[in-house]
Amino acid sequence: MHNPPFFSWPALALAAGCAFSLVGAGRAEAAPGDTNAVAVVTSSPVPVGPAPKRSLSGAELYSIHCNRCHAERYPTERTAAQWKTIMLHMQVRASIPGQQARRILQYLQENSGR
Amino acid sequence: MTGLLTAGSALWMAAPARLHAEVSDADFKALQETVAKLAGEVQSLRQTNQLVQQLHEQDQVQLQQLQQKLTETQQTAVDAQQKIAAAAATQTQPLPRVPIDETTVNHNFQILGDAEIQYAKADGGNGSFYLADFAPIFLYRGGDNILFEAGFDTTIANNAPAGGGYTTTFNLSFAQLDYVMTDWLTLCAGDMLLPLGTYSERGAGWLNKLPDDPLVRDALLPSSGVGAQLRGALPLGESGKIFNYSIYGVNGPSSADGSGLGSALDLGGNVGPNLHADPAGGGRVGLFLPFKPHYDLELGLSAMSGEWDNAGSHLWTAGVVDASLHLGSCFEVKGEYVRTRFGTDDLGMISQEGWWTQVGYKLSGLNLELPGINNVELIGRYDVVHGAYDSGNNAFDFNTRRYTVGYVYYITSALLFEGDYEFLHSNDPSQANQFILQLSYGF
Repeated sequence: MHNPPFFSWPALALAAGCAFSLVGAGRAEAAPGDTNAVAVVTSSPVPVGPAPKRSLSGAELYSIHCNRCHAERYPTERTAAQWKTIMLHMQVRASIPGQQARRILQYLQENSGR
Repeated sequence: MTGLLTAGSALWMAAPARLHAEVSDADFKALQETVAKLAGEVQSLRQTNQLVQQLHEQDQVQLQQLQQKLTETQQTAVDAQQKIAAAAATQTQPLPRVPIDETTVNHNFQILGDAEIQYAKADGGNGSFYLADFAPIFLYRGGDNILFEAGFDTTIANNAPAGGGYTTTFNLSFAQLDYVMTDWLTLCAGDMLLPLGTYSERGAGWLNKLPDDPLVRDALLPSSGVGAQLRGALPLGESGKIFNYSIYGVNGPSSADGSGLGSALDLGGNVGPNLHADPAGGGRVGLFLPFKPHYDLELGLSAMSGEWDNAGSHLWTAGVVDASLHLGSCFEVKGEYVRTRFGTDDLGMISQEGWWTQVGYKLSGLNLELPGINNVELIGRYDVVHGAYDSGNNAFDFNTRRYTVGYVYYITSALLFEGDYEFLHSNDPSQANQFILQLSYGF
């Protein structure tokens, strides 16, 4: 029996499906400051360009990251100190950049149980 | 003298008659009473004076005692000051400042984790409460950037059908120290959950929506390894996109008896003195692409390789492709493809592969006004594992496919009542269809 190639058709199918999804995701993405935004012409001699990109808030980052693996936990479930420990654990486990982790932590602590 | 007497007598005789007037009895009596009264008052005053004198003497004695005590106390204070001065003079250099923040109350200890209990019935067998599991995770934060985390798994499980009675097992799932060096770089060391795919890091008991792990995870991949790792994540712009990575060196798989025989491969036993010369290395790169909250795609590619037999003659290599997709808060699909290959002394090159894909849909997305329906999520999984080797005339191929249909009822967001039925197709006669119920709690 000959040895099959290292990656067989299921892997290729999975990768292809994800590639198509990736293309669709790129088209579906609605990032702030989209260059397709319609410029608004005012009486000012300088036309208004696309809105400047803004950073995602802690609440937005929380809704993006904190239900990927488990149901969202309510900020009131823990104290501010406990959230600090949990976010450090999550930053490592879920591979979240430090700046985003701090924004999520600020949101959780501002709405924490105590 | 005689003249004086004479003059005095003359004056006495010439004095007015009123000087020689008689005192009446009443007046005398009154005078007597007055004198007596005065005498009594004098006596009383004498007694009072004596008493005051006595009190004064007592006060004097007490004052002397207080003065003596004050003198002793002052001497004690002087002695203590001298001792302190002497101790300070002999003290060594002050401790150097440490770079981590330990001067404020910035430590915290917590227990997270999960617990499960299962009821199972395999075709042709009797149903029973199959196992109970308690898996705490201890987190100790020693500052802003230092975390020690350890997970344990305590399980009691029925020995049937292999034997009678039950077995209690206690395992250390992982124990690692994390030092967040920068926003995008973390050093981990210890017994670490390995980033081969994402299931071992993000698929703990209650996070896995079905009672069983995918077949390929336990059969083909080590879940943890002892070593060190650098990992992190880099934001790509401000829309939430992330590039994440990890690279690690661990002891890796080993041989249960030191030989290179195919049956001796031990995926998780190489702990302690390294049984072979070289550690294994591996890594993962991934892209996380959120479109908007609850809509995201994650793709990852992992690999690991290292010698596994004591002689160092054979490599064990694994590769994993992982993907997950969320379309709204109700729909998710995820999966992994795994391929491993390792050389042996007796069976030649052994190739194994497997994959799993899992779909979940929360019925709350249907907006049905039925009681309890919004708490139900339907789950389906298809997983496969098979392996093959060819050592000349001795060829073997094992193959197991499993179709699982199940549900999760969310009693709360962390208390889950799960159930599934697993249809198995395998050339292993010990595999059978089974029905499983599980109550799972994440804390």
